[in-house]
Amino acid sequence: MRVLLASLRLQLQLALRSAEVLQACLMAPLLAVVFLSVASLGGDAGLVAFAPSAIVAPALMALWTSALFTAGQSITEDRALGVFESVVASPAPLPVVLLGRMCAVTAVGLIAFASSWLTSGLVFGHWVVVEHPLVLPVALVATGLATATTAGLLAPLFLLTPSARTVQNTLTYPFYLLGGVLVPVTDLPEWLRPLGRAVFLSWSADLLRDTLLPAPPADPWARLGVVLALGGVASLIGTTLLLRVLHVVRSSGSLSHT
Amino acid sequence: MQSLRVIGRSAAVAFADARAIYTWRTWTFGWLGRMLAQVVFFTYLGTKVGGAEQTVRLVLGNAVMTSVVESLSVVASTGWERMSGTLPLLVAAPTRPVWVFFGRSLQWPVSGTATSLVALFGLAPLFGVSWQAAQVPAVVALVGLAALGSYCFGLLLAALVLRAYGLRNVVSNAAYLLMMPLCGVLVPAEVLPGPARAVGALLPLTHVLTALRGVVAHSPPAAVLVPTGMAVLTTIGWFAAASFAFDVLVRGARRSGTLDLT
Repeated sequence: MRVLLASLRLQLQLALRSAEVLQACLMAPLLAVVFLSVASLGGDAGLVAFAPSAIVAPALMALWTSALFTAGQSITEDRALGVFESVVASPAPLPVVLLGRMCAVTAVGLIAFASSWLTSGLVFGHWVVVEHPLVLPVALVATGLATATTAGLLAPLFLLTPSARTVQNTLTYPFYLLGGVLVPVTDLPEWLRPLGRAVFLSWSADLLRDTLLPAPPADPWARLGVVLALGGVASLIGTTLLLRVLHVVRSSGSLSHT
Repeated sequence: MQSLRVIGRSAAVAFADARAIYTWRTWTFGWLGRMLAQVVFFTYLGTKVGGAEQTVRLVLGNAVMTSVVESLSVVASTGWERMSGTLPLLVAAPTRPVWVFFGRSLQWPVSGTATSLVALFGLAPLFGVSWQAAQVPAVVALVGLAALGSYCFGLLLAALVLRAYGLRNVVSNAAYLLMMPLCGVLVPAEVLPGPARAVGALLPLTHVLTALRGVVAHSPPAAVLVPTGMAVLTTIGWFAAASFAFDVLVRGARRSGTLDLT
């Protein structure tokens, strides 16, 4: 736990000076403007109907972008600074260090949600009421944790090949689409829906949207459980892959050359 | 003539960079797939708000937008010269810096044009757009113009952020996200407030989209040619501004003795 918290603290300090985190936080209100400008074509009714999606989607997009960046950069930057070998050699387990650093992205999700909510009110004059204030923060934190573990799946790839940046770039919009971030998975073609349901974002997006609607969300805790379970599965797979890749690069002595 | 030679050499480096970043497989299944997903993502908005007409607007706008997103990568790749430490050599070279930097990132508008055309001809028909063979040359020319115009605009941004290299991705991403509402990608320009419409009119993308919608609607030639002319004029304007910005940057760097701009 001490290692996890220390890594989290380190990443939060690094994030304060990171242009990419600034970008993720800046992206959320701009995306909210993009979505709400389309919604405003439908007048007040359009804004009322679509604002929950227009607020939730930018937050999730900023969160995921930031997580992908952190997953890649935490290894490549440590390598560039020449400290990665020391981190691997230290008694603290690398998967825990990386998980702690990845969990820092949860903060981005919270900031992004607040900024897109503010954008709706300040720019479009449409203040969205948080109808279920107990579920919303829990759902945001659970989403942040699931995002951290899922994006962490990329870490072993970065360990093997520093040029995995191309993969990082491609995992944005296809993931948003499959994850029903803006338009629910139920609106996707039928053959894509099962795949969408396997992406934790689809459960998070539906639940977060529901917290902004007057009707009580159906089974909120069970849905939160699904988000956390999918995040847990990603964490298990990520840890196994990371340990295996670490074993390979340690055995071949290629940690510094991959 | 010398400027063309410089652009050519510079472009050779640009395409070598592209080959180092992508293979045809990673471009097709990685980059192209990602950009097509982006077009579908934004087009789905139309299924929620605005109906069929809005869906067509969104698919056309976002398909062309892919070329803009890619062309604006010039903001980042111009900065690569700083990372490579070649800026002092470029400043010392007997040519104007804008020719070097114009050629140096040409892989982006070329690749962006290809991406947009795949989206327009491959994806847009799924959302209610139909094409006739006679429209193809005009569409290709307009998409190329959108990519070139955005590239010249991006060149100016590149010159401005070369000293603040850490902000390169923030600036290019913020630029394209702002262009979406301002240039008629999402909503008709007529519904924008006056100042927003005025800013949008300065960007080539706005005029290209007006012309493209004219082509799709089989409008009279004037409805296509006038906005196309405006797109050409604004492209030239942004190139001139970028050229001026690079000259100022280099003059300042020479005077202050910070050729590496650090």
